[in-house]
Amino acid sequence: MTQRLYAPIILLLVMIFLIGPFFIIVAASFSAGDTLAFPPQGFSLKWIAKVFTVESFRQSFAVSMFLAIGGTLTALLLGIPASYAMSRYKLPLSETVRFLVSTPIIVPGIIVGLALLRYFVIPVGLSITLALFLAHTALVLPYAVRVVSASLANLRSDMEEAAVLLGSSRLGAFFRVVLPNIRGGILAAFILGFVTSFNQVPVSLFLSGPGVRTLPIDMLGYMEIVFDPSVAALSALLAFLSIGIVFAAERFLGFSRYV
Amino acid sequence: MFQNRTEALALALPAAVFAALVFVVPVVLLLSEGFKSADQWTLSAYVDFFSQSLNRTVFLRTLKLGALVTLAAAVIGYATAYAIVSLPPGAKGKMIGLVVLPLMISPVARTYAWIVILGRTGIVNQALMAVGLTDEPFRILFTETAVFIGLLQLFLPLMVISLISALENLPRDAVPAARVLGANWFQVFWKVILPLTREGLVVGGTLVFTGSMTAYITPAILGGSKVLMLETLLYQQVTVANNFVSASVIAFILIVMSFAANILLKRIATARNRT
Repeated sequence: MTQRLYAPIILLLVMIFLIGPFFIIVAASFSAGDTLAFPPQGFSLKWIAKVFTVESFRQSFAVSMFLAIGGTLTALLLGIPASYAMSRYKLPLSETVRFLVSTPIIVPGIIVGLALLRYFVIPVGLSITLALFLAHTALVLPYAVRVVSASLANLRSDMEEAAVLLGSSRLGAFFRVVLPNIRGGILAAFILGFVTSFNQVPVSLFLSGPGVRTLPIDMLGYMEIVFDPSVAALSALLAFLSIGIVFAAERFLGFSRYV
Repeated sequence: MFQNRTEALALALPAAVFAALVFVVPVVLLLSEGFKSADQWTLSAYVDFFSQSLNRTVFLRTLKLGALVTLAAAVIGYATAYAIVSLPPGAKGKMIGLVVLPLMISPVARTYAWIVILGRTGIVNQALMAVGLTDEPFRILFTETAVFIGLLQLFLPLMVISLISALENLPRDAVPAARVLGANWFQVFWKVILPLTREGLVVGGTLVFTGSMTAYITPAILGGSKVLMLETLLYQQVTVANNFVSASVIAFILIVMSFAANILLKRIATARNRT
């Protein structure tokens, strides 16, 4: 009897700890009161509505979207050929290449942000937007390489070798044989990169200027000054967005196969 | 396997050069600042850094919180992973989904929730006062306890996932066999489960430990300037004190620990592939 109760009790407690706080944020964002509190005082949609009217949130949302989409696409443009070279070619210095593209996962983001600020933004005059773009691209690169490499490893290489033997050019074989077969992996890498980039804080801490900052950094700044439920509302909205994307990806792609 | 080296390099170089230019070069330059004084190589910045008691406190606190979070995550992680692995397949998949779900939510949102829970008028204090355990609200926010709770919630999923895959490779009969032979649950864990899942524990432990050591948001929101950790100290050194040398020292410490953890992980991965 005690054994049969063990699993449900443990799992209930752990889930309350892991997911409970998220429900509190959701509940707090429907509050009618003026300060963040739980249980919420009354019910209203005013904080959720307010999120859309705060100018800085709209700006930083656009910045974060641009970084997450543009950065991830760029990382894929760099990462797919590199993964292909590492899995299908006798690549000289392949360990060095592998190490270089995986460093962004090992080095804490805050250090990268600071290094870019100190050596590119201040002395060279690189714009904050461009520095953010480079940092977010580099950050996503290891994920892109890892996920794409995994799907290349699952694809038998004799398929494109056969295509080449049958007279296709190497490039043609890549676009007609390889690419259609790793489409799922590329989409999975895109989603993983998007979520990672969008939620990223440390790398962008030092990279913010007038009118240019990412959404999470903007939220951190806002909550230091104002203690109303609008950050809760925004957090809840963003969480639903992430969960929605991942859920859809899992449903239609079997996302978890690739990650 | 294609043999053309030029083609291979042409494919791989853009990514490698990009990572080197955007990442490796500036970071190495930053780190070198901590070893230089008036164009001479020296360790004086490190001596200076550790001679200040605040810095020592922050350094030790970061190690301590990292270790405590890892330990707690291991204990809770085993209990959770064992419970999940014993579920029927359908329920198991759903539970794993629920464990992974928080990883998709912004850490800012996840940490922010704890303000509502742990604050002066938060749920915990409301409950304690309602039960009559205390008349004055406890101060939980801006203490090490708050940072500990926040970090544990943030990184526990990584431990659970690592342990689930380790436990799934446990031979099916190992635990029942040990029970039949008279081992109690403590002995079963210590003599059977732990040795057979050590790899998963090390993988999860490394992820949790490095994650906690290099966390910024949790100590920033739940610890504030009262409970500084290395990353929040680094931020303060740059923005408040404008001290890049000290920031470089902290950066080096963080990178060394991060690399050490990664090398350990890679060793374990390759050792597993060989067997």
